[in-house]
Amino acid sequence: MGRIALHDIRKRFGATEIIHGVDLAVEDGELVVFVGPSGCGKSTLLRLIAGLDRPSSGTIEIDGRDVTRLSAAERGLAMVFQSYALYPHMTVRQNLSFGLENTKMARDEVARRIDAAARMLEIAPLLDRRPTQLSGGQRQRVAIGRAIVREPAAFLLDEPLSNLDAELRVTMRAELAQLHARLTTTMIHVTHDQVEAMTLADRIVVLRQGRIEQVATPLDLFNRPANLFVAGFVGAPNMNLLSATARDGRAALPGGLDIPVPRDGPCTIGIRPQHLHPAEPGAPALEGQVTLVEALGTETVLHARTPDGTALTTVVQGQSPLRPGQTLRLTPDPHEIHRFDADGLRMDDPGAAR
Amino acid sequence: MAARLPGLGAVVAAPLVLLARAVDPPLRWWQRVAGQGGMAAVFLLPNLAIFGVFVLVPLALNLVYSTTAGTGILLGGRSFVGAAQYARLLECGDYLDALTCREDMFWTATANTFVFVVFQVTTMVAVATITALILNREIRGRGFFRAVFFFPVLLSPVVVGLIWRWILQRQGLLNLIMVSLGLDPEVWLNDRTYAFAATIGVSVWAHMGFYTLILLAGLQAIPKDLYEAAEMDGTPPARVFRRITLPLLGPNLAVVLVLALIRGVQIFDEVYVLTGGGPGTSTLYLTQYIYEVGFASVLRNPGLAAAASILMGLVLVVLTLCQLRLSRRGAARDAK
Ligand SMILES: Nc1ncnc2c1ncn2[C@@H]1O[C@H](COP(=O)(O)OP(=O)(O)OP(=O)(O)O)[C@@H](O)[C@H]1O
Ligand SMILES: [Mg+2]
Repeated sequence: MGRIALHDIRKRFGATEIIHGVDLAVEDGELVVFVGPSGCGKSTLLRLIAGLDRPSSGTIEIDGRDVTRLSAAERGLAMVFQSYALYPHMTVRQNLSFGLENTKMARDEVARRIDAAARMLEIAPLLDRRPTQLSGGQRQRVAIGRAIVREPAAFLLDEPLSNLDAELRVTMRAELAQLHARLTTTMIHVTHDQVEAMTLADRIVVLRQGRIEQVATPLDLFNRPANLFVAGFVGAPNMNLLSATARDGRAALPGGLDIPVPRDGPCTIGIRPQHLHPAEPGAPALEGQVTLVEALGTETVLHARTPDGTALTTVVQGQSPLRPGQTLRLTPDPHEIHRFDADGLRMDDPGAAR
Repeated sequence: MAARLPGLGAVVAAPLVLLARAVDPPLRWWQRVAGQGGMAAVFLLPNLAIFGVFVLVPLALNLVYSTTAGTGILLGGRSFVGAAQYARLLECGDYLDALTCREDMFWTATANTFVFVVFQVTTMVAVATITALILNREIRGRGFFRAVFFFPVLLSPVVVGLIWRWILQRQGLLNLIMVSLGLDPEVWLNDRTYAFAATIGVSVWAHMGFYTLILLAGLQAIPKDLYEAAEMDGTPPARVFRRITLPLLGPNLAVVLVLALIRGVQIFDEVYVLTGGGPGTSTLYLTQYIYEVGFASVLRNPGLAAAASILMGLVLVVLTLCQLRLSRRGAARDAK
């Protein structure tokens, strides 16, 4: 079991408040990913859950039990550190058994758990090596193994893949997903890699400056970002954000485009690069000069600038003959337009019944 | 535009610039003549000269003196005796009893030094480790305490000796305090045991800051997250210390141990000022013996002193080799 609930968690370091009242419930067996820009408090929040730091106010519950005042060990959670934190002077086996030996666990039970974890993570041949004799990916596995043998109520992982090279990160990401499917233990995973978040998570928690901006499934986050920050943060390349002023239920964009908007006043229209398509000749369109062409082979990212200086990004499938300096005319997919009010909050599409 | 005055920097730098200009042409000439390798020699020369004059030449002289006899200081008035001085030092009826030796003082001093080193080094390592562990914690005024513990290292050993004599002497500070508390005063430095303990205590006090610093650096090099990983597992503090701190501090502890040994064997200044080797010969250590035989006694014997110092030097060479091996092993481990 591992249902984790946070109620109005705040954390101050000295006079500065870093976490400003976080409420969150992580269901048993769920894999929740914390994302957010550097310094937004992801690690701090994870450490508060782990019990390595104490919140300044608020309560933490695990399976309905208030653990706010309990020590890290008493919470029964396991943590995987970004640096792995393997004991350098111990063999892999000793690293795995060290934590278990604190609880007067029977010897054969310790051995059984180490065997099981070693088999699951395919580190059995490495058990007698030291961490310095392992590759990055192997160390990562050992760090996860050390968490698994404790059979915790939940795993807490702070950027576990960030020290691996790109290729290995993809492999380990898939392994982590499989591991979660197999163990069905609650996992909270911190990352600032969007792809990692989107591919791993049951639900994503987007944090900014110590506040939760949105909690949603990966696709919900992509399809219905709750505010401008999430809209800009999720999805690559970043969403195009165009400022406009709505009058009589319509916001006018440059080039004669005209978007229905539920409320009048200043607003921001968001269109993902993938949802901008070449416009029919003569039809109203966003027009700009190509400034940069990023050819990725299977797709091409085009950067352009409108005459009034707004930057536009679009993605076209396959390869594009366009070159910098040429003119680009784009029209948005009318069902894929995001509208944000003056406070940056999402406004619902007046027409669509989604 | 007003005429620009030269800035302070330019004024200060002027003589240096002049000097640089003066040495530049000869250096360039030398580089043409001798090439790159020759330049290296030029730059090494000043240090080599100092090392030679103050280390190599005295070492060689010492070897020469140890093979001569006489009371004269100038080599001209001394006669060659081969290994006789060494033989004299090592001539003993029973090596376990200093009084059966021809140079009983040498053996007394050696035995004293041995006991001193054993106690002093153990105390030193223990005290420095405990202090480093405390200073490594998040305590209030940590910077202040670190400075306080390091401060005695900066004092001249003679000053250290004087301070503690002033505290421990018959009418010293300690006795004043004891009397004012209604206790009987004690003649600390006239008691064999107290005087011996005082030499240990004072030398530990004076040097522990240095070792504490080495150990503190070692403690801070241990990644914090290892302790956090142990905390997640609910590892009791004693086990954390035994299984994590101690093994990871090992290389630093070894270096501290050997350095303390090397310096313990050479103990002199503080003790000479504090007890003068007394009472009797109870705090007479090797360096003081060498000094007194060579320079301070009526029948001074520089040859014998030189031989004794060479013997002591051999012990130090062995210890230094240990230290080099340890620090190399540490470096090799860090490089991995
Ligand atoms: N012990 C501390 N004392 C003071 N401030 C701290 C402390 N730990 C973290 N902070 C501050 O709290 C904020 C959040 O830090 P945190 O490490 O949680 O960020 P993060 O989201 O994990 O960032 P990153 O992606 O770079 O790891 C930062 O501004 C940081 O400077
Ligand atoms: Mg972090």
